Amino acid sequence: MTKNFKERFLIPAFNTLLPVISALFLGGIIIFAIGDNPFKTYGVMISKSLFTVDGILKTLHFASPLILTGLAIAITFKANVFNMGVEGQMLLGAFFSGVFGFSFDLPPLLHISLCLIVGVITGILFALIPAFLKAFFKVNEMVVTLMLNYAAVEITRYLAQGVFRNPASGDVATYTINSSAMFNKVGKNITAFFLISILVFIFIYILMKKSKLGYEITAIGKNEEFAKASGMRVYRKIIYIMMISGGISGLAGAGWMMSEKYRYTTSFSGNPGIGWDGMLIALLGAHNPVGVLIAAIFYAALKTGSDYINLYTNVPKDIVGVIQGILILFLSIKFINDKTDFLGRMRQRLKSIRGSKGATRI
Amino acid sequence: MKVIKTINLTKKFGDFIANDNINLEIEKGSITAIMGENGAGKTTLMNMFYGLSKPTSGELLINGKKANFKSPQDAIKCGLGMVHQHFKLVPGLTVFENILLGTEITAGPFIDTMKEIKEVSKLITEYKFELNPKDKVSDISIGAKQRVEILKMLYRKVDILIFDEPTAVLTPQEVDELLQSFRELKKQGKTIILITHKLREIMEVSDEVIVIKKGKIVGNVKTSKTNPKELANMMVGRDVVLDVSKREKDFSTSKVLYKVENLKTENDLGKTVVDNISFEIREGEILGVCGVEGNGQSELVKLLTGLMEKTEGKVFLNGEDITGMWPDELRKKGLAFIPEDRYAQGLCRDMSLSDNIIAGYHSGEKYCSFGLLKRKEITKTRDELIDFYDIRISEREGNISSLSGGNAQKVIIAREFDADPKVIIASQPTRGVDIGSIEFIYKKILELREKGKGILLVSSELSEIMSLSDRIIVMYKGKIVGQVDGKTATKEKLGLLMAGVR
Repeated sequence: MTKNFKERFLIPAFNTLLPVISALFLGGIIIFAIGDNPFKTYGVMISKSLFTVDGILKTLHFASPLILTGLAIAITFKANVFNMGVEGQMLLGAFFSGVFGFSFDLPPLLHISLCLIVGVITGILFALIPAFLKAFFKVNEMVVTLMLNYAAVEITRYLAQGVFRNPASGDVATYTINSSAMFNKVGKNITAFFLISILVFIFIYILMKKSKLGYEITAIGKNEEFAKASGMRVYRKIIYIMMISGGISGLAGAGWMMSEKYRYTTSFSGNPGIGWDGMLIALLGAHNPVGVLIAAIFYAALKTGSDYINLYTNVPKDIVGVIQGILILFLSIKFINDKTDFLGRMRQRLKSIRGSKGATRI
Repeated sequence: MKVIKTINLTKKFGDFIANDNINLEIEKGSITAIMGENGAGKTTLMNMFYGLSKPTSGELLINGKKANFKSPQDAIKCGLGMVHQHFKLVPGLTVFENILLGTEITAGPFIDTMKEIKEVSKLITEYKFELNPKDKVSDISIGAKQRVEILKMLYRKVDILIFDEPTAVLTPQEVDELLQSFRELKKQGKTIILITHKLREIMEVSDEVIVIKKGKIVGNVKTSKTNPKELANMMVGRDVVLDVSKREKDFSTSKVLYKVENLKTENDLGKTVVDNISFEIREGEILGVCGVEGNGQSELVKLLTGLMEKTEGKVFLNGEDITGMWPDELRKKGLAFIPEDRYAQGLCRDMSLSDNIIAGYHSGEKYCSFGLLKRKEITKTRDELIDFYDIRISEREGNISSLSGGNAQKVIIAREFDADPKVIIASQPTRGVDIGSIEFIYKKILELREKGKGILLVSSELSEIMSLSDRIIVMYKGKIVGQVDGKTATKEKLGLLMAGVR
């Protein structure tokens, strides 16, 4: 039991935390070099973003779309399918929910539901393109989804500049959605969108851990031949998975539109973008729903914390971007190592070179 | 003289002791068989001999000198070579090119082909091998490929040859040829270590037998002073009964359960690999399919289990057309499969025992309701099956990867037989499985036969086919070349058919 506990929880937890700690450590050196106290800076960041009512609500609000995009990616990675197009699906979902948001005037509950559904459907439809290409023509979904992100950016930009442009705005932006399609803020920051994210999280958790589909997804991800021999229609399942992933991505965009942005601009998703952040979060959470939830909140806390750093210390808020960048770097190392075990192989190579004193032919 | 001597050789993997104080001596110019069940530690021991892993403690002496191998290259330099079960040859190159790969004879910047061929020919005649140095490796038989592997070692002046399950892939005639080669090598003064669990070969060719069980040597006897029964007993720790009494049964009045009509298919390259296969299986009948590997048996099984598409033909179960159905549909109709490759199609190593036990049946009412898995029910079934089929696992929640080959196979048997199928398609059900498990699997198959199930048994193990089958069909180049009655089948008769001689 103890060994099992160690293998199942402690080692994965350590593997997940190591990149985070390393990134914070390197970030700390940079803060120190700027001439500030890293402990104080991190202290401000954590205490303000997680341990004040305002801060935690803001953090959870920021976390809402990230939980969704993180889950959207995690579920496909579990099946060894790589939906890299979460950003694009999210953007399109956001855009069309926005279009429905400003084009209609309905009772709030109905309007909000309609807009959310539009977002979900848009995401699904956009994800179906790579899904069908993969299932029927064996086109690599990673390349297609990745490239379609740029198509999504351009489509929404074109539409936002053209038919749906709000001429009153100086920027490239659509009309603002009607107030009936907006989520009401509870307190200062949080909205019902967070609740929706949590519901989706519970849904995905049950799907992955308890359902037949979750079982099949895991089997496909671990051994496709075995899955086929067990009678799973692998390609049909891949289409389902992509639809779920696209739907959640679309929902993330729609929710963000209706709870924070209210109109579509070219900087709707920010930089690096909610979808891309989701990828990092899925990686950080080891493609496990609970891990994704925690990682999303941590990531959002970094974002909230950056605003407070500016207020309370002399460290520029960009330090958070630096830490995020370092984190991406470390996580990529972890990701590549998980896939190829290059660290293990390097160790072996070193061992054999040292062992035979250069006599081995390589 | 002792060419190999070990003193308290021990290998540990963490807490697990794979080899426990192994003390053995191997005489120069002898043939020593090392036998033991799967997971007994044979391979670990050989890996230490061959420089693939290092002993935790103890000493290994080669020709009286202490050996400290860091890689197989060191071992080869010391005169110790290994012929693996899976050949490491380049199919597109010729025999002599493969033998000299890495040590080409050059004249300036060019390879001296003439000299290379001469060298290899010399070697071939020296050891009386049947081989043409200029043949392409892709065109020669499996037995010939194995001879190329042996020559590769001999060319590198190896005196001690380790063979890892060398006969697993050969026809009976090829096995005889290999054993003949062993004798020839012995005559030339080479020392041979043979890892195997086939008693016939041990009795026929070896001088001495070392039996390993749970990492320890439990027997070390002269072959002339022992018999197969005693060896099996030493290996398993009790008497083993593999001989199935042949029975006389007339099936002409029994109901036809399973029927295949003119089945045909092509592989990805458009080559016909299953050609016009027809047969029927009646209630309580075991139909054996044998043939040298790669003659369409694998594809036939894939076709019948829904993993490949036919180009022509039909399959019936109880008169119902089940052609072209998916594996899950076939299972629902009452078919069960024991796939050829346990870890590719049969099991998922990185998933738990529970997850593997429901595979293929996970959509059924027993394990699933409203799209959710009934975890409680699954755990209950798992525990029942572990007990009933005697699956030895240290941690019930653990993954399949922690099981030995024999126990992993038992998981498949448990899963498939528990579903109470009408027809079982079993492909290589005992491949790489220890004798104890083989006995168990035979027993289970015979139980099903008694219950009136139809069984298709595909195996490259002739003794298995001969002792279990009521009727045997032989495949050669995708076609059925002959049918032999189980009672009257002999190794020679089947062997000739397997080689395509009618």
